Amino acid sequence: MSDTRTLDAKGQLLTNDGVPLKESLRKSLRRTKIRSFLLLLAPLLFLLIMFVGPIGSLLSRSVDDMEINRVLPETFAQYELWEDKSILPSEEMFAAVVNDIRATHKLEDSEGNNIGKNLLGKAGTRMTYEYSGWRSLLLKTVKSATKVNKRSKEEVKPYTWEAPYKEKMIKRDKRWGKVEFWQSLGAMKDPYTIGYYLNAVDLRFDANKNVIQKPEHLKIYKTIWMRTLQVSLMVTIFCLILAYPVSYLLATLPMRTSNLLMICVLMPFWTSLLVRIVAWMIMLQQNGVVNDTLVGILPCFEGMVNLPFFGEKNIDLCFSDEDRIPMMYNFTGTIIVMTQVLLPFMILPIYSVMRGIPPSYMKAAQNLGATPTRAFVRVYMPQSIPGIGAGCILVFIVAIGYYITPELVGGKDGLMIGNFVAREMQKTLNWGLAAAMGAILLAAVLILYWAYDRLIGIDNLKMG
Amino acid sequence: MKNVITKTLVASAISTAMLAGAAQAAVTMVSWGGGYSASQQKAYIDTYSSGEVNLISYNGGLGEVRAQVESGNVVWDIVDVLPSQARTGCDEGLFEELDRSIFLPAPDGTPMDEDTMVDVPNDCVVPQIWWSYVPFHKADTFSGEQPSTIQDFFDVEKFPGKRGIHTWANAIVEMALYADGVAIPDIYDVLSTQEGQDRAFAKLDTIKDHVVFWSSGAKPLDLINSGEVSMSLAYNGRIGGAVLNDGADYVTVWDGQVLEEEWLVLMNGAPNRAAALHFLVHASSSQAQADQAKWINYGPMRLAALPIMEAGEPWFNTGVNILEHMPNTEEHMKGGILADPDWWADNGQAVNDRYAAWMAQ
Repeated sequence: MSDTRTLDAKGQLLTNDGVPLKESLRKSLRRTKIRSFLLLLAPLLFLLIMFVGPIGSLLSRSVDDMEINRVLPETFAQYELWEDKSILPSEEMFAAVVNDIRATHKLEDSEGNNIGKNLLGKAGTRMTYEYSGWRSLLLKTVKSATKVNKRSKEEVKPYTWEAPYKEKMIKRDKRWGKVEFWQSLGAMKDPYTIGYYLNAVDLRFDANKNVIQKPEHLKIYKTIWMRTLQVSLMVTIFCLILAYPVSYLLATLPMRTSNLLMICVLMPFWTSLLVRIVAWMIMLQQNGVVNDTLVGILPCFEGMVNLPFFGEKNIDLCFSDEDRIPMMYNFTGTIIVMTQVLLPFMILPIYSVMRGIPPSYMKAAQNLGATPTRAFVRVYMPQSIPGIGAGCILVFIVAIGYYITPELVGGKDGLMIGNFVAREMQKTLNWGLAAAMGAILLAAVLILYWAYDRLIGIDNLKMG
Repeated sequence: MKNVITKTLVASAISTAMLAGAAQAAVTMVSWGGGYSASQQKAYIDTYSSGEVNLISYNGGLGEVRAQVESGNVVWDIVDVLPSQARTGCDEGLFEELDRSIFLPAPDGTPMDEDTMVDVPNDCVVPQIWWSYVPFHKADTFSGEQPSTIQDFFDVEKFPGKRGIHTWANAIVEMALYADGVAIPDIYDVLSTQEGQDRAFAKLDTIKDHVVFWSSGAKPLDLINSGEVSMSLAYNGRIGGAVLNDGADYVTVWDGQVLEEEWLVLMNGAPNRAAALHFLVHASSSQAQADQAKWINYGPMRLAALPIMEAGEPWFNTGVNILEHMPNTEEHMKGGILADPDWWADNGQAVNDRYAAWMAQ
């Protein structure tokens, strides 16, 4: 092969087939890329279907108000025309409600099954989130506005109710005459809403869709958000304080001892969460092991003593039954139990980073004249920071969404936002609100991740 | 090694297939666990010969029910639900409306829907029981005068010690108003006003510093046993279970008890619909309802079950009379508040938000 044959007119390198080398390289690279992408396709699809999809669909509920707009389109159109929202709307709006109810009531799905009744039921549930009482008001009115044959379940005409409706509706239920009900429609009239997010931070819409504060006695979520943050931070700090020396021991002790110590760390980690929580309950409750011991063993002294400077004083040093410390079913309980439960998440990353720090560095620093403390602070600690970062971020992220521990030991002032998400999902069925709270949690974690990346760099994060 | 893996795989495949086969045949009924589920097992399922019924537990609420129905992947057949959920679930189409003519009338011929203490709220529900939130304490807690009214529960001066109450607002706001002097028939009218709610929460404030909260049914008994609280609210069946089965020395104060309905419902799209319906007919018969009272002191929803029990006393399985432990006898109903599920479906969210805010303060 001579040089002239491997160069083309422009002087580019050619392969044996006469294709420019660059081109050929690009092609083969693309092939590898496609192949590796195809290999990744399965896990990618899995992620999409099992993870992104469900989370996305749940999050979309936090802004979705389509269904109620499907039920009351005419009413919401009339709402836009309602000028003075401090007085009752006109007959047109009352009629619009009845028309909407009748139209919805007849709706069928593609197989001809009636879905209208259930849509109205769901609408009642939805509307009650905006103003208490909507559910029964709407469903009562459905009964009067429509007429169904009990046996054939088919609609009977003519309707008993004819226009004008205003007086009849107020007579049927006086709540139709309360302007607050009508005003609350404003928060629902758009197919997409940020109302759930507002609700999650103790705000709401007024009749003109201005954002206002909720009444004082209904404010709950701000406190809970702050507490969630506080608990997560405190647990992270306590975990760090406890985990650092343990990890150091694990990393520096001779193999035999450190293995034993490692088992002590891992055994609770492998024990069921519930077992550990119940064990803490037995330890910390009012009549638990800790309080009983305090009452039993602390020296008891009570009586008059003559103190220098203070004179005669009545001193009560007894730790009696009234002095039992409340450590369970409150904030303290949540902190203690969560710290213990999450401790391994802090120990393990720090330990694995510490394992990688050669002991010779410390020796070298001391040889060069540093005191042990100085050597530790200036040489050892900076090298363990990636482990600290990983541990803190891990513990904080797990803690911020914690549910079962606060549920069991949180009592009145140890509940976190996870407990309220669960309440909305299971009990009140306000999935929009639950989704909004979940979205805020997710955003908080993402922001934390981003901040960590900016401050320390995610490349410095080491799990082992 | 390879052999072991193959064997394990084959074994697990077989067991999965068997499970799948069993799921095809057996009706899945979901209830609350504990002594209550045990009573349903003994009274309904063990006496049922026409098929298999698997009883599993859940934590209440319609969350899972709605998730199953909306995703079209219904795996439950029958669910044991609270009254407000029986209503919202039926309204939203999560439960099936049932043909009422298939159910058995009372021995005297009264149709099932007229054989209940309250009007049947919709066509989805099948009668189950009455249960109540009720205060109790240990017999030896107080020397001298004993608590006998709901006022005593709210009076920490007269009867010192902490109080165990639950983490949601149901029943406790009604009790607060009743203890504050509102007549039972007026409670929900008063509660419907802002002032009335303020009044209930003001009453709750008087015990605020003496409250320990519980959220699972077994907890109040622990709280009482450990001495953490001197009096607690609890589900009456939990108290009765400990007294009747384990000889606990608890005293129930029936005055101010709040009675709640409990219904069975059929999931919309239940996988074993026909078998489940057949079982529901059996479980709602007067006899089955009376039989349940052999195992737990929740009151049967069907009126016709009461004379069966009365005639059979001592009816409880340990050979003691059961009627005096029932929440819905005439004697215990004197100070009893019938919870209004429609009111709660309307106001539950707002009142519970306020309650949560009150708890967190």
